[in-house]
Amino acid sequence: MDWLFFGEISLAGLAMGGLYALIGLGFVIIYKATRVINFAIGEIMMFAAYLFLAFAGGMEMSPWVALPLAVLGGSVLGGVIEKVMIRPMLGESSISVVMVTIGIASILVGVVEMIWGADPQLLPGFLPRKPVFIGEMYLAPKIAYGFLIGAAMLIVYLLYFRFSRGGVALRATASDQAAAYSMGINVRRVFNLAWVFGSLAASLAGVLVAATGGLSPQFGAIGLSVLVVVIVGGLDSIVGALIAGVFIGWLETVAGAYLGGEYRMPATFAVLAVILVFRPYGLFGTHEIERV
Amino acid sequence: MFKSILSKVRRFAGISTIAASLVAAAPAMAQDKDSIVFGGSIPLSGVFAFAGVHIHAGLTDYTSWINSEGGINGHPVKYVMEDTGYEVDRSVAAFKKITGSNTVPVYYGDSTGFMKTIASELNSRGTTLMSGASFATALTDNEQYPYQFVPGPNYSQMFGIILEYIATQGKDGEKPTVAFVYSDTEFGKDPIENGKAKAAEMGIEVVEEIVTKPGSVDVSAEILKLRRVRPDFVVFHGYVLSPINEFMVQMRQMGLDTQFMGTFWSSDKLIINKMGADADGYMGVMPYNYYDSAEGGPMLDALRATAEKSDPDAGYRPTGYMQGWFNAMVWTEVIKRTMDAGKELTAENMAESLASIKDWDTGGIIGIPVTVQDMSFPVGRIWRVNAKEARYEPVSDWIHLD
Repeated sequence: MDWLFFGEISLAGLAMGGLYALIGLGFVIIYKATRVINFAIGEIMMFAAYLFLAFAGGMEMSPWVALPLAVLGGSVLGGVIEKVMIRPMLGESSISVVMVTIGIASILVGVVEMIWGADPQLLPGFLPRKPVFIGEMYLAPKIAYGFLIGAAMLIVYLLYFRFSRGGVALRATASDQAAAYSMGINVRRVFNLAWVFGSLAASLAGVLVAATGGLSPQFGAIGLSVLVVVIVGGLDSIVGALIAGVFIGWLETVAGAYLGGEYRMPATFAVLAVILVFRPYGLFGTHEIERV
Repeated sequence: MFKSILSKVRRFAGISTIAASLVAAAPAMAQDKDSIVFGGSIPLSGVFAFAGVHIHAGLTDYTSWINSEGGINGHPVKYVMEDTGYEVDRSVAAFKKITGSNTVPVYYGDSTGFMKTIASELNSRGTTLMSGASFATALTDNEQYPYQFVPGPNYSQMFGIILEYIATQGKDGEKPTVAFVYSDTEFGKDPIENGKAKAAEMGIEVVEEIVTKPGSVDVSAEILKLRRVRPDFVVFHGYVLSPINEFMVQMRQMGLDTQFMGTFWSSDKLIINKMGADADGYMGVMPYNYYDSAEGGPMLDALRATAEKSDPDAGYRPTGYMQGWFNAMVWTEVIKRTMDAGKELTAENMAESLASIKDWDTGGIIGIPVTVQDMSFPVGRIWRVNAKEARYEPVSDWIHLD
């Protein structure tokens, strides 16, 4: 066994998993607070990445100005979607709401094709290009720096949820909406906040992932593949999304390297199938018991 | 951004005007002879739209040009298409709709999937000859697909041309080593087995095969595998842009002096436009001269003049445009040959006419006279990116496979 090779691909997989965790966080924040599975998360990622392209490429802004602007744009988009399209659906069946998010995804693809066209794109380079070595192990610089930015964002999120008023309101609403409402928490505002924060995490991940793998109107499909991560981790568990994201990223990469690229998806779906059999609510998800 | 939207609207208006003028012009010419319909399932939206819009422009402009030349043996040409979103069911619906309301001797198929799906119907109808976006090896099987052809070399033949070039690049009498990198799709896998067989026959060692998942985010693990075998050449297939850029940039960062090559759909100027200086040295196999190449010829000049006239702001026309134009050129040649022989425009007669094409001068679209073999045009040339000049330049002669 070539341990150096194993170490290198493990490192690449873990770093990629960090970005999966960030996208998973976007899913979980929205689901935890509002019970909506947002199938448009990939398209929100895509939209933010195109905004980055417009700011850094078209308008030639510094990438370090374009990045926060694009991420902010993606999070504002999330807030607007919640206010205009999701809030009127309150009280409707969850299938109807899911269908609305699928519709939003299609609209976003259409808007992007209309504005930026259908050509595949590469984002202007903004991450250092010098190879990263950890000991003797090589790590692609885009992945390494993307992971660091994503990890910094994850830490900010965790601190926010733990210590800020907004974070506490979000957690309270997630655990019991009626109780939170009776304690004077503006639940509607919390719903909106959840969409804004969920979209913000997804938008940052969108720019970082597009910086590595390129961008096209079909980019949003990545959001769906990360659904595996949140189902494995538990749809309503932030810790679950983080751990499952890193694990799935590692597993996918190791399977791809040793078995071949065609085994990446089967490997992750095999894990998903096993988890669904033994823990249908995910590794860290809430086990809800309905008593009749 | 608004400028870009405005330019797109203008361009769309331009295309609409051409379409309207074609529809208007056709009846006037048809007073003498019936129109010949070019049908098409065209992916103006969906994952293949980046090429579909240019294929559509190529077909539209060719139709305009051939009508300005008096049509085909005096018959005006009408181009009738539907957008398919690159979905097989929509392509089939478009085919049925267009062929249901027109007599369609030739038809553009937007994908291998559609062309395979429609094959049995095409065979039983016996009215229509089909080609399109696909260069799939399977479609050149005369037994199964007698009424379909590919407008260039099939993907296996493209690998053959690439390997012929690689074989000449050895040093000290040793053949270079090669790695194949392809997407985990029907498109990606198409030439791999034939490519390996051809490499073995030529004494070229295939040191690694990398399969990537469609839409792969990160390919650094695959790149690490290539670092261990250090191939002299990497041949990509089944991609348009990503992850070619990542392989090239990361392998160069690792200090490898590997050279990178790709097949038709990975050899457009998009690679140069998006990768910039990183694209320098990338090579592709191309059966047609590039729009901005230094080459010339009566048909290539006509293509450039028509493209310039139809959309003066468009500038460079991608390989999809050249492919659309060439498809329509072959249809015209086939219809003309069939008519000149006094035969009906049936699929069988047109397939016979296609097979009779020998040493055909394409007027500069392809740099040498071409001969049809097994429903394909097995010819191509290796071009290398000169990033400074932002163009592909030829690095081999035209290679016509036997």
